[in-house]
Amino acid sequence: MKNVSKRISCYSADTAGICSALYELGGLTVVHDASGCNSTYSTHDEPRWFDMPSRIFISALTEADAVMGNDEKLISDTVKAAKDLKPEFIALCGSPMPMMTGVDFDAIAQEVERRTNLPTFGFSTNGMATYLEGASEAFYTLSLYFSEKREQRADTVNILGATPLDFGLNGSVEAIKAFLTENNFRVGACLSMGASLNDFRMLSEARVNLVISQSGVKTAKYLYDEYEIPYVCAVPVGKFFSKQVLKALEDPSEQVFKNGSGSEVCIIGEGIYSKSLASELLYKGIDANIISPLETDKGVLSQNDAQVYSEEDIRAYLKEKKPKTVIADPLYSFVIPKGTKHYPLAHFAFSGRCYTSKILNFIDREIDIQI
Amino acid sequence: MIKLAIYGKGGIGKSTCTANLSAALASLGKKVIQIGCDPKADSTINLLGGVPVKPVMDYLRDNDDEPESIEEISKKGFGDVLCIETGGPTPGLGCAGRGIITTFGLLEELELFKKYSPDAVLYDVLGDVVCGGFAAPIREGYATSVLIVTSGEKMALYAAQNICSAVRNFEDRSYAKIKGIILNRRNVEGEEEKVRAFAQKNGLEIIADIPRSDDIIACEDMGKTVVEGRDDCESARCFKELAKRLILEDEND
Repeated sequence: MKNVSKRISCYSADTAGICSALYELGGLTVVHDASGCNSTYSTHDEPRWFDMPSRIFISALTEADAVMGNDEKLISDTVKAAKDLKPEFIALCGSPMPMMTGVDFDAIAQEVERRTNLPTFGFSTNGMATYLEGASEAFYTLSLYFSEKREQRADTVNILGATPLDFGLNGSVEAIKAFLTENNFRVGACLSMGASLNDFRMLSEARVNLVISQSGVKTAKYLYDEYEIPYVCAVPVGKFFSKQVLKALEDPSEQVFKNGSGSEVCIIGEGIYSKSLASELLYKGIDANIISPLETDKGVLSQNDAQVYSEEDIRAYLKEKKPKTVIADPLYSFVIPKGTKHYPLAHFAFSGRCYTSKILNFIDREIDIQI
Repeated sequence: MIKLAIYGKGGIGKSTCTANLSAALASLGKKVIQIGCDPKADSTINLLGGVPVKPVMDYLRDNDDEPESIEEISKKGFGDVLCIETGGPTPGLGCAGRGIITTFGLLEELELFKKYSPDAVLYDVLGDVVCGGFAAPIREGYATSVLIVTSGEKMALYAAQNICSAVRNFEDRSYAKIKGIILNRRNVEGEEEKVRAFAQKNGLEIIADIPRSDDIIACEDMGKTVVEGRDDCESARCFKELAKRLILEDEND
């Protein structure tokens, strides 16, 4: 029974990551799941749902359809919806039930594509992986299909890995764009907030990619292999670290993160964001490290950081290391030892709408955290 | 690369045929992987001197974490054939088909084909195509061809017909196609005529005709295939002929 969360929340699942990554792109996203589950992916995990339309549907899978392997219902309903709504592409993704019955989403996507002549992508999500993996697959798959060779522009930076699951709707992504523009960069594609499908087509115009969450790493690696575009994993938080990010964008070979032992502050959260925040604190003379309970690229973490997934391991780590302050989502309060200060920094993928006022915008601004 | 899935009625000799074909391909210098897709996990036992490999499902049951290397869930047998068994859940519980899909996902994560670069991969699949899991070996990226093992017995041919129908249901998808029939003789009356009639009805070819032989039984008692144990016998010769044909066709492709 490892990795059971008894007292804390768990992160949004892979299916929500797909829906979030594709939300603004004009596609038709169909989750193969029981009726009613749309609220999980599209309202609980999606702050844009009430203000911005998107075509996310549930297949309304029934027990009989699951037992009988009635793929045709999903295929014909999707084809019918596509004919009515005329999306630019179709994405089909799974949930625990089709995982158990072994639904072949790639094969179903091929059939739907044949009948609609629309680019159709199958994602074998099953609710067992995190939102980062789902969003990562969505960004990567669409980049593979839609990106095209274009002339590179020396001033252009793409932003990869932007979803409200990591950045909420507090203006952080817009602030990153403004920060880049103010520093004489042109923002190219942004995958994918304030974006359209055209952003994927123009990916190769950039001279460098700024990867602001783990969900952008796989695409960044693909763009490096395919178009030789280097990438920098960092979020330009704080007044000191944001300057380092600018330097790294000029010269991506430069090490952007600072490493600390975490004697004063330990940050729990998404790896790239947390490491950026820890670096800012280190520039301010505060010893900080991170715990990443989510998959994180090896190049991001140092040996002083911890890749720890389970509630019991996080609790044990904090007990042993005894940092003075833990910066983490408010729902982590249950595993923070008594006597350790908890600075609440909400993460939408962990606590949803519970603490939206605590999802803070630290982009290029003074960070005043009392430790 | 030769990528074959072997289907047929339970007890018809799928594992015997698959293991002998693997051994024959290996004896002709090919690098072979055999993946048993059956909860009984006995597909590769006669390539391994009767000492079975730990099935993937058993590994997952016994360990909190997934294996980090192919070596942890495989064993090399006769002719260096890499032997893997999916295994299955505790009898009466869980979902065996799902176990196959989980194993395949794991093998993909471990980059089995990339790291091992086999010349041939053989999937030995339980009985009929009973659910999504048992169709996994014929999905895109796995087997490209299906061999159906049958005798002239009524129920074996009935199962073979069901397998033909199931595979043809997937014609719109990029799944494996039926390559032919292995006639594994049981010496029933009119056996050859019955199987030929079945083959003709379905537009298929009998690509191997394995005689009923005590050599196979004797070798299996020793934990061996006939290709290993009695390579001069008629059965071993048939498996080698089939292996040569598959290699030639693969080269021509």
